[in-house]
Amino acid sequence: MFLLLPFDSLIVNLLGISLTVLFTLLLVFIIVPAIFGVSFGIRKLYMKTLLKIFAWATLRMERGAKEKNHQLYKPYTNGIIAKDPTSLEEEIKEIRRSGSSKALDNTPEFELSDIFYFCRKGMETIMDDEVTKRFSAEELESWNLLSRTNYNFQYISLRLTVLWGLGVLIRYCFLLPLSVCVLPKPKEFLSKHVHLMCYRICVRALTAIITYHDRKNRPRNGGICVANHTSPIDVIILASDGYYAMVGQVHGGLMGVIQRAMVKACPHVWFERSEVKDRHLVAKRLTEHVQDKSKLPILIFPEGTCINNTSVMMFKKGSFEIGATVYPVAIKYDPQFGDAFWNSSKYGMVTYLLRMMTSWAIVCSVWYLPPMTREKDEDAVQFANRVKSAIARQGGLVDLLWDGGLKREKVKDTFKEEQQKLYSKMIVGNHEDRSRS
Amino acid sequence: MGNEASYPKEMCSPFEKGEIKRLSKRFKKLDLDSSGTLSVEELMSLPELQNNPLVKRVIDIFDTDGNGEVDFEEFVTGLSQFSVRGNEEQKLRFAFSIYDLDKDGYISNGELFQVLKMMVGENLKGWQLQQMVDKTIIIMDKDGDGRLSFQEFSALVRGLEIHKKLVVTL
Repeated sequence: MFLLLPFDSLIVNLLGISLTVLFTLLLVFIIVPAIFGVSFGIRKLYMKTLLKIFAWATLRMERGAKEKNHQLYKPYTNGIIAKDPTSLEEEIKEIRRSGSSKALDNTPEFELSDIFYFCRKGMETIMDDEVTKRFSAEELESWNLLSRTNYNFQYISLRLTVLWGLGVLIRYCFLLPLSVCVLPKPKEFLSKHVHLMCYRICVRALTAIITYHDRKNRPRNGGICVANHTSPIDVIILASDGYYAMVGQVHGGLMGVIQRAMVKACPHVWFERSEVKDRHLVAKRLTEHVQDKSKLPILIFPEGTCINNTSVMMFKKGSFEIGATVYPVAIKYDPQFGDAFWNSSKYGMVTYLLRMMTSWAIVCSVWYLPPMTREKDEDAVQFANRVKSAIARQGGLVDLLWDGGLKREKVKDTFKEEQQKLYSKMIVGNHEDRSRS
Repeated sequence: MGNEASYPKEMCSPFEKGEIKRLSKRFKKLDLDSSGTLSVEELMSLPELQNNPLVKRVIDIFDTDGNGEVDFEEFVTGLSQFSVRGNEEQKLRFAFSIYDLDKDGYISNGELFQVLKMMVGENLKGWQLQQMVDKTIIIMDKDGDGRLSFQEFSALVRGLEIHKKLVVTL
């Protein structure tokens, strides 16, 4: 019995030493570089290693699937059906043309077959549409060893499972405690420099590897910075590379606590939901802020909600009406290392943060685009669309006209009325042609 | 939601197992309140569907038992009419039922008028629409009863290669 005693003290000693080592490592590799804004390049190495492992894992899976004759990938990566993009006019003309040899001299302006186009379009939309799939996480082609992204891949081999198990171990026992230790507490922040430091520490806590492009185009005072929105981490990413004043809706819960803490240090502008509807008030406060050249540039996400980073949805025109210089920023996450999209209807903030911390890493690229101003003959909506196209092009995202608010609301009737008008023109146009001849 | 494999073979064809799986995922995504059936509101929540003037007709056809909700069986049966493996007769029936509002097997003058009105909205006057409807019926009504039966309908439409136009490839 007493033989165990020396072992006990040995274990305690070992534990003590390893903890000290851990904390020293923490200090040296994470906190100090964060304060001075320097990097050791360790994370880049980590990223390269991870990529190699993923490639190997995918190869294994493909081989395994071939042996078992499974279908590993979906046939259409852009949705579950093959879509035929024809317009109303083209299709109806084609249908009528194929039947014209059978018709009589007196071709009626309206054909019974005209409904085919609408039916087919309706069916296609029911099976798969462009909008609702933007509001759920992107499905990956290869598996990145996180079971949460495992939609199509099943058990293939023992080695793969072992690797996955190891991955789980590393992520939950190493990365998670690391992140939790390093995370700053929301106490009183003193100035914008401390703010910046804390953002940098956050970035390291989340093992985020960010590549900034064109930093010469970074937003300046008195301007507005607009970016596409995928998650609250966008804020951390941008704010760790510059000073911004934030604009946004007041949230409850953890977000609310953070927002209130931030307001004590810098002049951020938080709105109540009811106030957001009152656009004039928002515009007034923003204009006041922008005209004061000493104030920090405002950071706005004009989509109004989180989109899953495969596309850019309609920009709300409010921020483009003010007339200040707009600095567009494109943010693109690499989904292989961890999906950063926050599906607010599925996960709360805390669950989301937990998922972020237990992902391999958050890898993203940030492009600072050259500043844009509204031209004389452009209205706010056109300007917003111009900025949106620039951001979509740079980030390699799909440029959509649909409103992100469709996550929660319905489309207006005007779209349907447009289709009806188009069809009526077709029928009546035929009639006029014939009456002339 | 239920195991897809438990559905009878006759209903599953012309879809393959993999396609049924995808459709089932799609069904679950559309079923916002997870009630197991799709209501008209849930289907209408698809933005691209809302600019389609015939959407209510298409949804009505899905709902074969007329209870206002589309369950998974009705969903698959409805979509199978558009499958690339479906036969021509099925597709003609589908097109016919878009017009046949009361499902009595005949397209009356009034029904044709209503469907045409759905497609043009307020952009044409009532008398213009009525003219077109009357003309179509006169031309196509072979037995002179003032309405179109399925045979008269298919006689005209059959030659249009409908099996290519009413197809969605899964």
